[in-house]
Parts: sequence; C-alpha cells; structure tokens
Amino acid sequence: MSAAGRRLPALLGGARAFVRDIPVGQMYFPTWERYEAAMRGIFEREWYTNHGPLAREAEERVADVLGVRHALCVTNGTIGLMMAAKALELRGRVITSAFTFVATAQALTWAGLTPVFCDVSPVTHHMTVETAAAVLDESVCAVHPTNIWGGTCRPAEFEAFGAENGLAVYFDSAQAFGCRVGGRAVGSFGALEVFSFHATKILGTAEGGCVTTNDDELAERLRNIRSGYGTRAKVAVPVTSNGRFSEAQAALCLLALDDLEERTAHNRAIRSSYVSGMAGIPGIRVVDPPDADPSNEQYAVVQVDEESFGLNRDALVRALKAEGINARRYFFPGAHRTPPYDESAPPPGELPNVEHICRTVLQLPVGALVDYEDARVIADLVSDFHADAERLREAAGG
Amino acid sequence: MEKSGPRDLAALGGTPLFDRPRPTSNLVRPDLELFLKYSRVFFDARRYTNTGPVSVLMEERFAEFHEVDHCVSFSSGFWGLVLAMRALALAGKREVVMPSFTYRRLADAAYWAGLVPHFCEVDAQSLAATPATVGACVGTGTALLVITHPIVNCCDAVGLTAFAREIGVPVLFDSVESVYETVAGRRTGSFGNAEVYSLHASKLVNGFEGGYVTTDDAELADRLALERGFGFRGQDNVAFFGTNAKLNEVHAAMALASLEDLDDQVERNRRRYYAYRSAMRKVSGLRLLEFDETETTSFKNIVVEVLPAWPLSRDETVAVLNAENALARAYYSPPLHAMHASYETRHDDLSLTEALAERFMNLPCGHHVSLEDVGSIVDLLAFLEQHGGAITELLAART
Repeated sequence: MSAAGRRLPALLGGARAFVRDIPVGQMYFPTWERYEAAMRGIFEREWYTNHGPLAREAEERVADVLGVRHALCVTNGTIGLMMAAKALELRGRVITSAFTFVATAQALTWAGLTPVFCDVSPVTHHMTVETAAAVLDESVCAVHPTNIWGGTCRPAEFEAFGAENGLAVYFDSAQAFGCRVGGRAVGSFGALEVFSFHATKILGTAEGGCVTTNDDELAERLRNIRSGYGTRAKVAVPVTSNGRFSEAQAALCLLALDDLEERTAHNRAIRSSYVSGMAGIPGIRVVDPPDADPSNEQYAVVQVDEESFGLNRDALVRALKAEGINARRYFFPGAHRTPPYDESAPPPGELPNVEHICRTVLQLPVGALVDYEDARVIADLVSDFHADAERLREAAGG
Repeated sequence: MEKSGPRDLAALGGTPLFDRPRPTSNLVRPDLELFLKYSRVFFDARRYTNTGPVSVLMEERFAEFHEVDHCVSFSSGFWGLVLAMRALALAGKREVVMPSFTYRRLADAAYWAGLVPHFCEVDAQSLAATPATVGACVGTGTALLVITHPIVNCCDAVGLTAFAREIGVPVLFDSVESVYETVAGRRTGSFGNAEVYSLHASKLVNGFEGGYVTTDDAELADRLALERGFGFRGQDNVAFFGTNAKLNEVHAAMALASLEDLDDQVERNRRRYYAYRSAMRKVSGLRLLEFDETETTSFKNIVVEVLPAWPLSRDETVAVLNAENALARAYYSPPLHAMHASYETRHDDLSLTEALAERFMNLPCGHHVSLEDVGSIVDLLAFLEQHGGAITELLAART
C-alpha cells in the first residue's frame, strides 16, 4: 500500500468505503429457489412443527456430522443451554468463562445456578483448566467452558479436570459447529454440548440450536424437557418448557448442512485475506482460532495494541463504522460486568486477561455478505487508519 | 360410517373410521403465495431475526387486530408467558394464583418465572376462574393472577380486571384460545395488564411456532421486548436480565399470512361447528358446549360434556375415538394440581375441578376435518351410545 493509494477516512470527511452497511456476519441463507421449494414441501405435507419429518432428518444429519449419538434440535441455543442445565440436575455454582456471550451466564441463572466467572488465556482467549482451578471450591458442581472464535478450549482437558474433581462438565459450543479437535468433532465432549444456529452462525436457521450428547438417559431427559413431541419414553424431569424446532427451522438446517463446506471455505478465504492484508500493520493481530483442526472459520477476530497501532480498539471500531463496516466489540464489557452479575456474582479473583481482551478485541465481517476483495479493502482501511492515527485521534477529541 | 356392530370398532379389531388422523389441532394452512410474499421481505432485506422487518410488521398488524397499543412477539407463547409473569409479578411476593383446570404447562411457566403456583377453583358453567374463585386464594403473598380463557367462550375478563385492580394485584390473561373473541363486545388483547397468545400450528393463527403478548402498558412492552433479546438495549448494553425468546422472520411471515386468512377461516370453523351442533342432536348422552354468539367468536374448538346417561367413561370414549383416528382429547385432564411437580405448588379443596376434569373432551376440529368428517364422527358417537353396554363389556374382556 503506497501513500498515494491512501484514501481519506470517512470519519475525516472522506467518502464511505462501502455504500451498504456490512454486518459482522454470518447471514448465510439458501437461494430463494431452494427456500421456496423447501417451504412448498412443508405446505404440501401440512406438518409445521412438533418434531416433524424434517426435524427428525435434521437431528439425524447433525448427529452424523458431529459423530455423536444424540442431537436434539431446539428453538435457539440459549433455551438449549437452559434445558441442558435442568437436564443435568445441577445445584449450586458453575465455573464458566467471564469472556463469553451473556447468554452463557443467563442460562445458568434461569436454571437456578450461580456462575463463578474465571479468567482466560491471554493468547487463546479461552478459559483453561488452570484458570478454572483458580476459582474452584466446594460449592462448585460443574464446569461449563465455552468454545469461541472458531477454536476450542481443549475440551478433553476439561473432561479430565471434571473427572478429577467430581464435577459435571458441559460445553457452550454456540460458536463451534464444525470445529474439530484432536481428530474429534466438537459435539461429543463432556456430558453434553450446546450449539447455536442463529443467523450470525455458520449453520444458521434464522433462530435455532441443538444439544448433543452420547448419554442416552440425558438425551431422553432433554427431549422430555423440550416438549412432549419427539420423546421416546416419558421420564421424570424437573420442569418442561417449549424448546421445539419447527419444520421451517429444520428445512433451513438441512439446506445449511448442504452448504456447510462451501460456507467454511468462503469464510476461510475471507480470513486469509484479512491475515495477509493486515500482516504488516503494527499493533494489529488477527487471532488464530486456537486448538481447532479444522476451525469452522466462523470468526475474524482482531486484537489491537493501542501503542503500536496508534488508535485504541474503540477508535478503530468507530472509524470502521463510519465506512459502513459494522465491526463489533465482543463480548464487551464481559459477562461479569453485566447486570445482574456485576452485583450478584462478583468473580472470586481478578480477571486481568478478560479485562484486557474486552478492551482490545474486535470482530471483523465474515460470512455471506462479504468476500475476499471486501476483506482486502477493509484490511487496507485499517492500514490507512494506522497512517492517519493522529488525525483520527484529534477528530475524536484526543 | 360402516360399522354394523361393536366388533367393527378399531379398538376391538375393526378397521379405523379414518385412514389418516383427524386432530383437535387446527393446523390451518395459510395461503402459500402470501407466506412467500412476506418471506420475500426479509429475504430481500437479508434479515432473518433480531427484530427484522417482518416481525416488526407482524407486531403492528396484531396490535391493530387486538386494538391494543403494543404487541411483543416471542419464539413461543410459553416463553412469552414466562417473561410476562416475571415482569408483572409484584416485587417481594411469590405466589401466582391460576386455575388448576388449564393448559398443562402453565405451572411450569410459573416455575421458570420464579413463582409458586397457587391453584384456584373454576366456575362449573364457564369452566373459568371467577373473581370469587380467585379471591379465595388471594393472600398477602399474592404476586400475580394468571387467568386462562377456557377453550369455548371466555372468562369474565371485565370482572376479573376490575377485581384485580381492586385488590391491587396485576392480572395476566392466557388468551391462547381466545384470539378472535370479544368480551362485552371488545376484542381480547387489552384486558388486564397484558394478554398472552400462541402462534403454534395447532392454534387459531399458525406461525409454525411463536407467540405474542399484548398490552397497553408501554413500559411493560419495552421491558419484554428487551428481555426476549438477552436484555440488550443497543449494542453491548445489557439493561435487563433476559434470555432468547425472539420470533424469527420465517415464523413471523407465516403468522402474517395466517392472520390475513383469519376471517375466512372463522367462516369455515363456523360451518364445522354448525354441522356438529345440528348432528349432535341425535346424541343425548353428550352435551356440546355452545358458543356465545352474542359475542364475536372463532368457532374453532369443539368441546362436549359427557353426561351421566353416556354409557362409556370419558377416557374410554377418547380411547375408542383415537383408535378410529378421530384424535379426541380429554379436556385439561389431569388438572395441574393432580400432576406431579418437582417444585412447590399450593392449593386448597379443588373437588369441583377434579369432577370437571373427568367430564369434558375435545372433538376433532380445524383444517383437517371436513363437514363430511363431522357427520362421520357424530355417527360414530351415536353408534357408541347405541351399543354402549356391549362395547364396555368387550373392552373390559380385552384388558
């Protein structure tokens, strides 16, 4: 990038780089023709929900893809997490990452549990058995790690940690559909795992999710909690709910499964464009999805070092937004700083890594609405912002 | 109907009356092209959830339909109920008074909301809670009243709203079965503090899955709209504790298409109901619950009372009908207080509810039941009445 090629940032009065607003992702959806055909099929069968033929097929295919005995599709991942905590019949406190989407903690609260927030690795941004061990005490009944960034928390290590300490282990894998680690798909670790099929995920069904497990009894409890439909036996559960996955959601799930490889490849190209485009920019690190082979390529996460880059993360997000790029802070300000946890569940120790990451990471667009070239343009913009850092700082009032 | 004797009943080894099920679920099919037209709106906007254009339109249209200020959509009526109960319950109090003779998951909804169900009695005629039956359960710990409209006709929403105001306790109506109805000439939707509806495929308005809450209370509507989306008010700012109970755009498109068909559907329901009403005159042991036609009604549900003269028990009748692929269902049975619960519940004497829970059943209705089917179902009922004694003996001999 030569100085001659530099453009005036929109924040300083230049033209926006993108006329349309670019969401952070994923927004994959089938073509209109495929969507219409699937919906016509549902109208012909006149089976709209209550564990219909498409829901059953979706569950079989998801289980097959993940190499797990049971996959239960649910209305959304959060309801799946709430159902999971109830099915596990947990009581007390549950260790989880403070660097997670707030739903991880909210689901615990809905199930009558209290989160114990732990710190994460400064490199992988995941909680580790060491950070979990640091907050372990006798009141803890379970450990509930999250797999984020298209990477993993090294789930096998948590299985061992749980066994050693007599804790239930289950994973919030909302972001991890399609990731593998140690030759095994995410989905069969711990007692169970919960995935999200939200539109912002690589396997999007508008809203949706699934719970996966190899435990037959647990699967049956989950089915009974989800609804009366799709159960194989009536078993005692503490409470029921509505977690059903409609035939429309199931149709989108099946189409998304057909496209999963293509979507992953598309995201991989976008990520590689960011990586090469931003390789030389001081203070910018594109975070590698840790401990996943392959990654599902769901995220392009950048960590900003203010001193070298010249702007802090929030200033970079503002500059990108002015260009039409909806870059996002994730998971700002941290679950532990979100009501009611800021008052009800203060972390037992300091969370220096979480605090630092919450201040320094952002998520760049990936998914259906961007491509390799767009990512290149965005990388160039970040480079330009570095060059114009001083003026951008002044424009923002210092 | 071709059954010459009791042994021709499917429950006794004969061929079922229907080759495919005739359910009590509505399963109405809206116009496909209309559904696709609404789908096109979110498809072109590339917005699939999170308050997309179709769910916004859906909320506007349903608020208009119910003549109420606000409609907040949810992933299901169940989670709408849970969030509305949580939001409305008086602070520091935990008991929610609700009928026992009602929707089988209503107590579970209260539990998720952190409340203790206190089951009240219903009125023998309306099958609904009244100010008197509710009042008997109200105490210093009462946080909320949740009143369900029965399956045929409505509860006294005017009287219950006034009663709730008088005792200073909020009231939430579970109006899942009363989408189209009026009470004292006013459409449901703006009674009490809020009302909850379902968009499940079995209900009057088919949205695949889904639900909504209506209210004139702007603050409540705002809170519920945030709580269904993790409590976020704008990016990165959590204002409330919440969950994910958002209605997705595909389901919202379905609900809109179904709403447009509603008047036509009600006309089809009316014909079905009239066919039942006329044919049921030949069955003296069952009493059809008649719709109050001085009010607007959907004519959707067909409920009969099993009278003492009827030769079979209600449950035997349901089993015999089900074997024929006529999927009759026991009406709200068992009542909630008789179901096992893992959590705390309260109730006093509910002997009337217990008696009523043995007496009523829903008969097949909705999109999959033709006028001819109605004739066959009532002929079958007449047949059961005629051969009741022999059928009971043969059924007993089989078990």
